[in-house]
Amino acid sequence: MSEAVLQVEGLVRHFNDVHAVDDVTFSVGRGQVLGFIGPNGAGKTTTMRILATLDVPQGGDARIAGYSVVEQPDKVRRVTGFMPDYAGVYANTTVFEYLDFFARAGGLHGAARRQAVDTIVEFMVLGDLRERQVEGLSKGMKQRVALGRALIHGPQLLILDEPAANLDPRARIEFRTLIRELAADGKTILLSSHILTELTEMCDTVTVIEKGKILASGTVRDIVDGLRQRRMLSVRLATPDPRLERFLLEQPGVVGVHEAGDVASGVSPAGDVVSGMSRTLRFELDGDDQAQVQLMARLIAAGFPILEFSAHSAGLEDVFIEITKGRVQ
Amino acid sequence: MEYGDTISIEEPAGSRSVRLQPDPAPEATSRVATLLRRFDDLSDRLSPIVVKEVRQIVCGREFNYSFMVSLVIGLLVAFFGAANASSGSGTTGQGVFTALTACLALLGIGIVPFGAFSALRSERLEQTMDLITVTTLTARKVIVGKLLAQAVKLATLFAGMAPFVATSFLLGGIDFVTIVVSLAMVFLVSLWVCAAALLVSSLAKTRGMSGALLAGGVLVLLLLFGGGTIINRLMFGLARGGVVSIGIPFRADGWWALAIGVTLGALSLVNLMLLAENRLSSPVENKSTALRIGFFVQFLAIIGGFTAVAHFSSLPGAVEPMAVFGLLHLSIVAAFTVTEDFPVSRRVLRHIQTASRWSPLWTILWPGGGRGAAYVLFQMVLLIVAVRLVSTREVGWVVAACGYICLFTGAPAVLLRLVRPRISAFYIRVAILVLLSASLVLPDVLYYIVAQENGFNLLYSTRHLINPLRTIANWSIVEARGLYLMPALVGVMGVLLYARLMVMNRRTSRTAPLS
Repeated sequence: MSEAVLQVEGLVRHFNDVHAVDDVTFSVGRGQVLGFIGPNGAGKTTTMRILATLDVPQGGDARIAGYSVVEQPDKVRRVTGFMPDYAGVYANTTVFEYLDFFARAGGLHGAARRQAVDTIVEFMVLGDLRERQVEGLSKGMKQRVALGRALIHGPQLLILDEPAANLDPRARIEFRTLIRELAADGKTILLSSHILTELTEMCDTVTVIEKGKILASGTVRDIVDGLRQRRMLSVRLATPDPRLERFLLEQPGVVGVHEAGDVASGVSPAGDVVSGMSRTLRFELDGDDQAQVQLMARLIAAGFPILEFSAHSAGLEDVFIEITKGRVQ
Repeated sequence: MEYGDTISIEEPAGSRSVRLQPDPAPEATSRVATLLRRFDDLSDRLSPIVVKEVRQIVCGREFNYSFMVSLVIGLLVAFFGAANASSGSGTTGQGVFTALTACLALLGIGIVPFGAFSALRSERLEQTMDLITVTTLTARKVIVGKLLAQAVKLATLFAGMAPFVATSFLLGGIDFVTIVVSLAMVFLVSLWVCAAALLVSSLAKTRGMSGALLAGGVLVLLLLFGGGTIINRLMFGLARGGVVSIGIPFRADGWWALAIGVTLGALSLVNLMLLAENRLSSPVENKSTALRIGFFVQFLAIIGGFTAVAHFSSLPGAVEPMAVFGLLHLSIVAAFTVTEDFPVSRRVLRHIQTASRWSPLWTILWPGGGRGAAYVLFQMVLLIVAVRLVSTREVGWVVAACGYICLFTGAPAVLLRLVRPRISAFYIRVAILVLLSASLVLPDVLYYIVAQENGFNLLYSTRHLINPLRTIANWSIVEARGLYLMPALVGVMGVLLYARLMVMNRRTSRTAPLS
């Protein structure tokens, strides 16, 4: 991993008997996007609030660009941009005035402040909305302005809590693109979301948290590989064949054969009339690439009319469901 | 921090054309643009909150309407005043000025503080407070900025009325000094009410509570400025008769009284803001030290001011007000400081541990109930010494009052913390109120039940020694009958309880520093 901009070490935060964050440790490198996932009440927002210096841990510490969130909150605030799961806009304030205020509040003065506002307006494509009231903007546009606000003082780390919530599909796609561009620009991003398919596309790594504890951390691929020792495979025949299931079960390393997908009727190569049977069987193979190649060769040699032979990779949703138990505190 | 300092981005492949660190764009160079840029640069000297708030105020309906209405009223008052003056009266200016002052007071005490209340309320209810907290702005900067923005609003309203005020001077019947002092008083009182509104607003966390607090605030304003009150006399009395004719003390030493009033007003304004800051700050920050310093300065002003009056002015009886105000101040401060939680957040603890080697000298200013007890005891000693310097006769009841304060605040704090070490400070404060109420009522109620007399004997007697208010009020009887034992016991127990609090706080800091 590149130089770590965010290092979290043994973070602990209790609210009476509730262990909101319980010995959480992870790190994120420069220009990386980390997806923080977990059920409601898992401790994501508490962790993010601690990192944004809005709360203090009872144990452990986190360093952002080398600054401690416990001891140097002022310095942490200068290198961190925080976007909570609400827009937070002002009445009687235009987009320009809103960004200008947060540029001032971020410690920018004079030409640097004006330049920062102009750059963000251009980067977030807010030019046409510059003199519009923030309150009257659509949710997607408010989200854009909010991201601009979090970026205006040039932070190294962006903490985004449910940034894509309530956005329409187009706004989500635009937002996803923005996140990748920011990461390409060297920003380190920590974001939480419930839309797991989007996280897969946005994030370099994910961290799964439940009941305040980290359950898994790494790339989606690494987590899947860590979870599943067997390969998920499927075979689809041109016509259903009742012999296939028995054949597969007789092969070394094959377990868990079951029907999947479409049901069809027809005549098998053996001449049997088959009705109401699936043409696709799914199963698990305990073996490496060589075992998979040999199995396919044996299927062909046995004369099965193979239309498809494919491996299935588990997605983030599968991982999430498998790792978490849906326990809330 | 400059913008370019923190964004250091290497050129990645395939990124969009707009960069977050573009080449410095040449800024417009026309004269108007240059002038505007200068003004914009000057605005950097102001708090960002002031700039934002003023922008919002100018665009808001509330300010525009109130400005327009004040202009119309000013115009009407000046017109009728001029019409009256044309009939030959040489004192019309006084009436015109009083009417204009009333109009300004209405705006300054009713409308503008409502704006202050709304400004902070919306910040909390719209959840923008967190967004500000993660910037370089502290809670104090936010509160000061909000108050300054209201000051700008007030100044604009006053400026709008200035031509009409000038008319009142030209119409005769009122002198220039009275006009200036009256307007300054109205301005300061308005600012004070704005600070109070900010504090009240900072207490509200929900819309319902905010509405209830607003209604309570309006009620208090009506009571304070309803008529015949001190504030009312102070503000309008000046306009009616000039600086030296407000009241008996003012006739001889008006400027002394004005100076004390303004000083205490300014100090209490600062403390109102510190209280609002306290409410607004995150629980993990040090919320106590600034408040303790602010209230200590206010306490010094009380005893210093009255001591100065006693020594340098001809005003009689300065020691009693000094003792009464000082004790009132101490009792309120004690109820809040000795009840503070012992454990502090890690951030505060680290700050305490890394403070300079001189820090033990001001350890009483750090958060924690035990340190709060030491802080209160220290001020009690100062008060007793100050009273002793002015008059030896008054020392007895002041010492006794200090003892009662120690007992009535120390006992609930120690006992409840022994039973439940992590009990909330709120419950201890409630217990103090309950204990005080019980001490006021129980002696008479128990006497009535036990003695079963036909008549209810309300005369002060030994059973009332547990009642602090009656005992202090009837101190001459205590002295005459020599009933010193009970107050002495109360005092000793109070001081011991405070000592116990200090020990408990010290132990907790060592064993459980986290919260």
